[in-house]
Amino acid sequence: MITRRSAFKAAAGIAAATALGAPHGALAADKVIDVGGDFSFTGADAESAQRVANGAIMAFDDANKNHEVPGYTFNLIKFDDGTATAGQYDPAQAATNARKMVSDTNMVAAVGPQMSGAGKAMAPILSAGDLAIITPSSTNPDITDPKFAAQYRPAGKPIYFRTVATDAYQGPNMANYMKETLHVKTVYILDDSGAYGVGLADAFQAQATKIGLKVLGRDRLDPKAADYSAVLTKIKSLNPDALYFGGVGQAGVKLAKQSYDIIPKVIKAGGDGMQSADLLSGAGFPAVEGWYATIAAPHVSDDPQLADFSKRYFARFKMQPDDYTITNYDGAWAIINAVKAVIKAGKPVNRSNVRDALQNVSFTSLQGPIAFDANGDLKNKVISVFQIRKDASKPLNDPNAQYKYIGVAPQA
Amino acid sequence: MTVFDVYLQQVINGLNLGAMYALLALGFTLVYGILELINFSHFNVFMVGSFVALYTLEAFGLSGQTVILAGLPLVGVLLVTFAVTMTVTGTIGVGIERFLLRRLRAVKGPAAMITTIGVSYILFNIVLLTVGADTHNFANPLPTVTWAIGGASLRLRDVLIWIVSAVLMIALTYFVQYTKIGKAMRATAQDPEAARMMGVEVDRVIMTAFFLGSALAGAGGLIFGLYYNFTSFLIGFTAGLRAFTAAVLGGIGNVPGAMLGGLLIGLVETIGSQIIGASWADVIIFAILVLVLVFRPAGLLGRIAPNKS
Repeated sequence: MITRRSAFKAAAGIAAATALGAPHGALAADKVIDVGGDFSFTGADAESAQRVANGAIMAFDDANKNHEVPGYTFNLIKFDDGTATAGQYDPAQAATNARKMVSDTNMVAAVGPQMSGAGKAMAPILSAGDLAIITPSSTNPDITDPKFAAQYRPAGKPIYFRTVATDAYQGPNMANYMKETLHVKTVYILDDSGAYGVGLADAFQAQATKIGLKVLGRDRLDPKAADYSAVLTKIKSLNPDALYFGGVGQAGVKLAKQSYDIIPKVIKAGGDGMQSADLLSGAGFPAVEGWYATIAAPHVSDDPQLADFSKRYFARFKMQPDDYTITNYDGAWAIINAVKAVIKAGKPVNRSNVRDALQNVSFTSLQGPIAFDANGDLKNKVISVFQIRKDASKPLNDPNAQYKYIGVAPQA
Repeated sequence: MTVFDVYLQQVINGLNLGAMYALLALGFTLVYGILELINFSHFNVFMVGSFVALYTLEAFGLSGQTVILAGLPLVGVLLVTFAVTMTVTGTIGVGIERFLLRRLRAVKGPAAMITTIGVSYILFNIVLLTVGADTHNFANPLPTVTWAIGGASLRLRDVLIWIVSAVLMIALTYFVQYTKIGKAMRATAQDPEAARMMGVEVDRVIMTAFFLGSALAGAGGLIFGLYYNFTSFLIGFTAGLRAFTAAVLGGIGNVPGAMLGGLLIGLVETIGSQIIGASWADVIIFAILVLVLVFRPAGLLGRIAPNKS
């Protein structure tokens, strides 16, 4: 069926093909290739979504400006997997976005999603469409685990790549950190019912049990509910040394606020879902003071080598990049490098060739060496630990200023 | 904390929740009692109320957690904010009735109910598109006063929420029982035809019910904001659904029933979370609802209406 949109695309394709016959070198003659970008622009994670997505925008703009791939222009098409009714990422919307990406025949690869719950919904569709995606921040291990290949890559080949480590490291390494550095003996575990939160809390719990942390209980928060006082009162009555929360901002903001009232002295920690500007502006000081959070990537935002990147980023977007801005920038560069490799090999630039090339990319980017294992996971796995410590001289909602980097969590 | 302290604390938590659910449940019950209409726009009138309250407090220069008031200024600001919020949401309620539902009153079937669902989504999206999807911090002008009762703690804001809810509910009960228009409301609820023949202005009665219900939802929105220190376009659904459940549990159409249902659901939620787990709260609440409805189909205090046409 020829819809108006596909007719337009066809016309654009003809135009592009005609243009290709024109003398080389002219920008107008560049073949435009689409790259998808799926982030949670609506809802509780809106601010971090923008911060992260900008990383890919910068990478592709840099590549286009510098004619990184001669004859080709990258066109980033953004998709929003957040919906108003969910108030955060919505797996159903993510699946719809994946279908739209697959049906865009000019699309060779994608960046995103931010959230594992979105990734789980997208992976099978992208697999069927043979479209590779590189996530900057979705850390649920199942998606790339060969055990679940039938579910998340039914077509066989890995299509879900990551420029971050997974929760198989993030949760357990934080359990180690709690025991070895914070000398925690008892812990209570909460999750936010999402794919990411449950998986992270499960991984934390398994390691905690293994290394002899006493798990006093495990419960689940409804991210849309307003009141967590009942579960927090229960935690207070059990008197644990620490609380670990697997989840993202929607529940996290309310949890931080209310736990400050009810269990102010308990050590509180979360994963990368608790590393966000949304938490700082939503819950605010003093409630967030002292919370620990991790990032499933090396902490490079402060690296002097990045000064130039940060400066350009700030000049353009009027905000500071964070670590997942950088993993997303790196992911976009993995795509750019893969496209280069396809052209160098003299093959047509299509999805299947770009996917195969991604499997073999190896380059050094802002966060360090980028290369993927046979499942699409990043070979270099580092979990960085942060703590919120108020710095009144900087904006109180700037994660780069208020989250202090503490170190690398011990490997499980 | 001893076991006693823990349960005492959970009762305090439950009463806080229950007071809020009860205020919202009253709105459902008032309208249902008279029109036999489940007014789903109520969910988001409550949400809009919390934003009206947020902006009213900001107009007083109150935002964030920094300014703390006490004594007369606090009482004054709160009174004015309650008045403004309740007037605005009450007017929204009247508007919904006057311009949308009145035209549908003669239409049989679910048209009116579906309209209220539509209005609910419209309000939801208007707020989403105008103020955005972020969580908004609510001003917190209440002094942080906490009393220790054994190992449990009771905060000023807990007491405040109870007092305000109790005052509003007593005022409503008095209004419905003893004022002329209140009596007219009850008469209309029993038999609109007969009431009309006796000279009751049914249109005015219905409008009053919408005004009161929506004003209480607005008060609920303000209390929600003061208590949790945030609001967002999303808060209507979870709270609204629980409150609706409370109204049905207590006996929809029955004013004391709505209060009882609200308190019960609040208590079941917190004590159930303590004994079984927060993830089971909804299961427990709805299991109790189903059980009650099996044995008392009209709810705890409701009576099957004898001859509704």
